[in-house]
Order: sequence, then structure tokens, then C-alpha cells
Amino acid sequence: MNATASTSASPAAAGSEKSETRTGVQMTSRAAKIMRDQITKRGNPKAVVRFGIRGGGCTGFSYLFEFDDRGPRDNDHVVEKDGVTMVVDPKSMFYVDGTIIDFETGIRGHGFKFDNPQVDDSCGCGESISF
Amino acid sequence: MSDLRSANTLFQISEPDAGNELDRREAGRAIGIDLGTTHSLVAVAPSGAEPRALADAQGEALLPSVVSYADSTPLVGSEARAQLVESPQSVLVSVKRFMGRGSEDIDFDHPYALAPGEGQARFEVGGREVSPIEASAEILVALKRRAEAELGHEVRGAVITVPAYFDDAQRQATKDAGRIAGLEVYRLLAEPTAAAVAYGLDRGGQGLFAVYDLGGGTFDISILRLRDGVFQVLATGGDSALGGDDFDRAVASALLEDAGVSAPSPSQRQALALEARRVKEALSEAERCAVSVPALGIETELSRERFEALIAPWLKKTIRACRSTLKDAELRATELDGVVLVGGSTRVPAVRAAVEDFFGRAPLTDLDPDRVVAYGAAITADLLSGSKREGMTLLDVVPLSLGLETMGGIVEKIIPRNATIPIAARQVFTNYSEKQTGMSIHVVQGERELADANRSLARFELKGMPSLPPGMARVEVTFQLDADALLTVTATELMTGVQQRVEVKPTYGLGDEEVDRLVMESLDHAGEDFAARALAEERVELGRVVLAVRTAYDEMGSIEGLLPESERAPLVAALEGAEAAMQDASIDDAKAIKRARESLEKSSEAFARRRMERALRAGMEGQSLAEIEAALAEEDKLERRRGGHGAETIESEGPQS
Repeated sequence: MNATASTSASPAAAGSEKSETRTGVQMTSRAAKIMRDQITKRGNPKAVVRFGIRGGGCTGFSYLFEFDDRGPRDNDHVVEKDGVTMVVDPKSMFYVDGTIIDFETGIRGHGFKFDNPQVDDSCGCGESISF
Repeated sequence: MSDLRSANTLFQISEPDAGNELDRREAGRAIGIDLGTTHSLVAVAPSGAEPRALADAQGEALLPSVVSYADSTPLVGSEARAQLVESPQSVLVSVKRFMGRGSEDIDFDHPYALAPGEGQARFEVGGREVSPIEASAEILVALKRRAEAELGHEVRGAVITVPAYFDDAQRQATKDAGRIAGLEVYRLLAEPTAAAVAYGLDRGGQGLFAVYDLGGGTFDISILRLRDGVFQVLATGGDSALGGDDFDRAVASALLEDAGVSAPSPSQRQALALEARRVKEALSEAERCAVSVPALGIETELSRERFEALIAPWLKKTIRACRSTLKDAELRATELDGVVLVGGSTRVPAVRAAVEDFFGRAPLTDLDPDRVVAYGAAITADLLSGSKREGMTLLDVVPLSLGLETMGGIVEKIIPRNATIPIAARQVFTNYSEKQTGMSIHVVQGERELADANRSLARFELKGMPSLPPGMARVEVTFQLDADALLTVTATELMTGVQQRVEVKPTYGLGDEEVDRLVMESLDHAGEDFAARALAEERVELGRVVLAVRTAYDEMGSIEGLLPESERAPLVAALEGAEAAMQDASIDDAKAIKRARESLEKSSEAFARRRMERALRAGMEGQSLAEIEAALAEEDKLERRRGGHGAETIESEGPQS
């Protein structure tokens, strides 16, 4: 597409840079243990944990983090650790590649923490998610 | 849900689809309610079945919209109406007229004492204050209970109809009444739209329709446009004080005149009114009807001909309203594809004849005109509960992302897949070159990263953009998806206000299977898609820089002192190298393109700085360089804030049709 030749051109977006190849999604032993305990308590030992990105919500993107009783799908990236299976769909993988999932206990309560190196905080306007 | 920025947020593992409202809905268990001024009724059309109205224990489907507060427990329907004579102050009729209205807005006569205060008007009845919303909720509860008794299961989901002309406050009041009644109101549906849905007119895909609704006390005429399976109300008109009751009164006063009675007692009047109504109804079938009002000594006969002469003035009034409403819609009667009759008074043959005469076509009359609105509500409720109905789709989530094509054929998603509708989102785009006087907007649907691989929905051109340096123009693109999944894309050039828009139905002709296929495809192609996107983005970026440097070099490269000879050769080499890389379509490595750009940026950096300093000296004499730099940094920050992030959701829920 040559913008100088035509007087009308497609809109130009404010560009963002995509990351280099990373290392997949990882979980700490502590996170894996909590996941395993929760799966056991929940009753279906075959369930996996699905991690990814979902469109929608007020700011465009949000994390998806839920049990999946159906197990891995074709094309899913499968991460196994200490008897826990976590799956990430290939599309989400582009957004969460490199994330380390940990479990935190502290003054703010207990929960899983996602350290996603692709999330770019530099925008600073507080409204958007940029990668 | 929290966004991806919140690195400190702690998450819990959710159950699949937890928090998804749609999954709480039980398919086939929702009801449709026609909440009328005089009567209300409930209908169901479970899991694709034909709609049917639900009757009470006495076999009566129409519930009088009357609520009595004479006793400690409110009464609804004919029981409430029975108390009207004894305690007219405590029995509320026609509360619909008060919905969403403050006492200062109430400009019609009514027998009620209104409580002082701002906002929603409240009645003082039976020693307490009752809002029309609460009274409506009583009616809705009665209908909900009737449905539960009939269906044998709990009912939560409902579609309630409202007049097409109801404003936001009136609609909100109706929704609130539903909530108080323990109903989840999936949607408010315009009454004429409901009637059209009941007749299956939406299956035709396109068309123009008139809905002539003559009830007991109100007349409404609506002109609807059906496009891509979605109805839009083009114009409404009517008379809020005209209806079948006027026919009764015309008959009654004629009978009185014949009998020579001038001042009947209230009980005589009551007996006369009942007889007039009976005679009116009988004359819809018979040519003549015997009339008997012993209390007034009336024993006579009335012919249909005489009856028709008596009601002619009111019929003329309705036709006049039809004419002016058609005019508002800028249509001729011959352009319509169908006319629907709603309301019990349209059973009168003279009404049908007048409608047929004016519109030049026989109106649709197959369905019971008292029930047709509730039928449409029931069908819509069934769809929204998640049932599949032949030939119909109604969705409350966006099945595939909606976006537009940007430079390099890359898709910028504006409304993401699975967002709940109605939704509106906007994003600001900019120009690529100073010579660009237009922007071509290509609306696409799908999950792929490149426009070519997605469904193309619409294209249009925004013309008349001012000539501005690359990246300086501001074009705001708004995607608005209404409750019927009708998408309006608007592009506005913010400096001149030039605007263009297009409307499209993204889900039209899109089946579940195709959605699944498209989503799966995007997963299969995720790797190559991202590589292609990265390459396209780098190419756009390179093109931008090449264009800027080439223009600057050609225009200012020979100006004394701007480009020392030592810099010229490397700059020209990098520029030519970058231009060659741009031309070379065989380069499929984003990094190679990036290197060409970075090399060009590096070798032209000093040239760019000198150009800027020169421009500043020329344009901003008197200001210190520090001041100028601060101003530029501020501008730069602002720029990023405006353009540096993705689509932003606009919080709004407009009136639904």
C-alpha cells in the first residue's frame, strides 16, 4: 500500500511492538500445589486449569483463569508441574507468553499472581492495557 | 474481572463461565409481558414453540391493569376493579400513564392525590404512598405467578413491551418495575416491533411496515423499517385519548338522545355504557343488534351502518394521524410492505376498512389483536433465554470481534469478541501522510490479525480531511452496537467535524457453526497471523519513517548547514536501503525491516534535530529553548495519551427499540 500515490488511505494506528519469542507460561511450585489442592477439593481430578486472555469487560481485555473439565483442546499449549495441568490456547499465548504464575499470601489476602512481562505499563493513562 | 495491567491483583480460579449472565438464563423458560394501559397479559413460546397467552383460573387472558390499595394487601385485576366503585381514590387504573413522570409532567386529568416531592410522581392511596412503578410491579407479579402456576416452574426471565415513544425515564421505570417483581428483564421491546415479530415479519429480512394500534383508550401508529432482520422505529404518532371507549360513548349518547333522556343517574349511565359496549362488539359480527337498557326504558335496534356513521369522526382522526406519521417517516403508503393491526378495537370492521382504504392493502389480521404484542414479547423472550428458533438469531454477546483495517492490512479490534451488547467503543486514528485527504474505513469482523482473512462488513470513505503532517490528524472512529446487534460505525475528523457513518448487521447470516469455525481458524493460524501482523506493522512503521525522511531530504537537504557532507552519504545510503526494503515484497522477516528503519532513524537523527531547531528559531523567537522543549515534551505526552492505547469503551445504554 502506497500512501503517497493515493489521496485516501487506511487509518494509521498508534503502533505497539510485539515481543520476541519467550519461554512459555510457568508456575511456581507453590502455585502448582494450591491448584492441585483446589482441583482435588473440587472433585474432578481430570480437570485442568485454563489460563489466557479474554476479550470483553470494560477495558477490552481481561485474564481468563478457570477450571476446565474438558481437558486440553487441540492446539492448546500444555504446562505440567507437580501433577497439575494448565492449558493456554495459542492465541492467548501471544499475550501471556513469559508469564510466571505464583501464589501469594499476605495482607491483601490470598490469590494467584500473574507476572506477565509483556504487559507494558508505560502508557500511564491507567485506562488501557498495552503490550 | 480486572485488566491486564494490574500486576498486583490476586486472582482465584473461576468455575467455567462463572459470572456470565447468559449462562444463568434457562432456555425456554422466559415469558413475554404486554404491560398495557388498560389490560396486561403474559404469553410464552417455550423453546421455539408457537406463542400462546396464559389465562387465569377463569380462563381470562386479559388482566385489567388495575391495582387496589383499599385493603392491606394490594389486589390486582378484576378484583381490584370491583373495588373501584366503593373506593375510587384507593384503586389505581392506567398507572402506565404515570410511569417515569414527575408530578410537574402530568398534564392530563386523573382522580388521584399525588404526594409532594420531586422525581417520580407518587400516589397517596389507602394512607400510604405508592409509586406507579410499584403498582406496575404488582401487575407483573400477578402475571409472573400466573405463568408459574401454568408452567409448573419458576419464572425469572422476561421481555416487557413498552410504547415506541417511551423515553429513557419511562423505560427505566418499566425495567425497575420488572426488577421489583423479581423478574430479570432481558429487554424492553417496542410494542409495534413486538407485533411485527409475532407476525414473523422479521423473517423477510427487509421491509417497511405500519402498525396500527387502537386500544380501549389510546391510539398509536408506528412506522417500522426492517433491515437485516432488525426493526427500527422510523416514526410514531397517535392520540393518547382516543380509543374504543370513544366508540362506546358515541353509541351511548346516540341512544340517550333517541330516548330523550338528558340527565341519566350514575347507575343508568353505567348500565348504558355496558350495553353500548356489548352492542359495539356484537356489530363486529352482525349487521343489526337489539339494544335493551331497561333502566332507561330503551328497547330498540342499532344497525352497523348507523354505528359506523357514529364512529366515523374518530376513524378519520386515526387516519389523519397515519397520514402525518407517514409524512414524518418520509414515506408514501404505497411504499409499505405490510400493515399490522393491534388492539381490540381493530376488530371493528369499519376500522379495518378505513385502514385498508388508506394504506391501499388488506391489513394483517390473523392473530388476535389483543394478544399479538404479548406473542411478540414471548418469542423474543424465548430467543433471549437461549432457545433456538428457526430462522432467527438474537444475541446478547458479540460472537466475533469487530474492528477496522489499518495501514498494512492490519486489523485493529474495536469491540472484542464476547463483549455484551449494547456496547459502544471508540478509538482515535491518525493520518499516514500529509497528502492524505481521506481515510478509507473498512469494517471487518473476525479474530484474524489481517483484514483479508476476516469477514468484510462495510467500507466507506471519510473525505475532506485537512492536510496535516503525518500523525497529526485526529479521526475518531466509534463502533456502536445496539441491543439488536445493529452496528453503527461513525468516523469523525475532530478538527473539522467532518463525519461519515455506516450501519450494518454483523450477525446477519452468521450461524453458530461459522462462528465456531472462524474462531478455531484463528487459533490454528495464530502463529503465522502474529508473524504477519508484526511484519505488516514494521512495514508501516518503515514506510512512515521513509516518507518523512525522503520528504525532508528532498525539500531541505540542500539548505546550507542542515546536512553536512559527512552525514549526507550515510543518510542517502540508509534511505535508499530502506526504500529498497520497502519495495522488496519478498522480505518476510519483521526484524530485517526493523533494522532498516532503525538504521535510517539513526543516520537521519542529527538532520532532524537541526531541522527542528531551525524551525523553532524561525517560528518561536523570544522563547527560550528550554521553554520550547518543555512545551514539546508536554505535547508529546498528550499525543501518547490520545493515540497510544487501544479502543475505549463508552459507557452508555441508549433507548432500545
